Amino acid sequence: MSEDIQRKLQTELDGFKNNQKELQKAIATRQQLDGQLNENEIVKKELDLLPADGKVYKSVGPVLIKTDLVEAKQNVGKRMDFINKEVKRVDEQIISLEKRQDSHRETLQKLQHQFEQAQVKAAIHA
Amino acid sequence: MAQISSVEQPNMKQIDLTTLSVPQLTALKQQLDQELNLFQESLTSLKMAQGKFQNSGETLEKINPESEGKEILVPLTGSMYVPGKLMDTQKVIIDIGTRYYAEKDLDTAKDYFQRKTKFVTEQMEKIQILGLEKSRIRDTIVEILELKLKQKQN
Repeated sequence: MSEDIQRKLQTELDGFKNNQKELQKAIATRQQLDGQLNENEIVKKELDLLPADGKVYKSVGPVLIKTDLVEAKQNVGKRMDFINKEVKRVDEQIISLEKRQDSHRETLQKLQHQFEQAQVKAAIHA
Repeated sequence: MAQISSVEQPNMKQIDLTTLSVPQLTALKQQLDQELNLFQESLTSLKMAQGKFQNSGETLEKINPESEGKEILVPLTGSMYVPGKLMDTQKVIIDIGTRYYAEKDLDTAKDYFQRKTKFVTEQMEKIQILGLEKSRIRDTIVEILELKLKQKQN
């Protein structure tokens, strides 16, 4: 009986740990996206400050390539849209992972309780 | 992530620290230590950014229309230079992030670096204030922890 619970406890604990790892990964991704979004926002502000005939270059490897200002603005805007979508996706992921984490924690507590009870019972029988 | 603050805020529960158990206090202290570490790291990187912006701004001061045609040494690698001549000293090209570079005249370029330095300095001040508050809470937690441990010994 107690071995059975112990096995269940172990499986549950493994699941909990895996979930925790995934959650940490998702949080790291979220922070990275936040940084990217911030950087793009700053670039957009700078591009908006430039005069209409301002010259903009894009670095591609070791060279600077001249770019159209309007095109550059559009590109940054598109990238921000994309990052915003990613942020939403990761946020949802984090919420669902947190929910799963809570349910794991609950089951773990229940199993631990059962395990302790079984041990007490075994001690009485012995 | 849970927030820790000494001022009451919406969606936050006030907790009397003295009612917490030793493991709870230790966990709180650990979390605060982590946050303080992060602040310290952020401050270091901001300090570096601030230095770079200031340095670039100062370098701009040395460029003026009379510099045109003057000889300079252009670094090809960290240890190899080729001679060159300054052309068009009215404009500079500035890295504005995400691999975009913008051409600016001297005055707007100076303005750019002043703005950036100001922005970074403001961020540093914000972090310093937050860090001070957190380290105050941390000190209080350490005090209560010591008190509790002493009580246990007696």
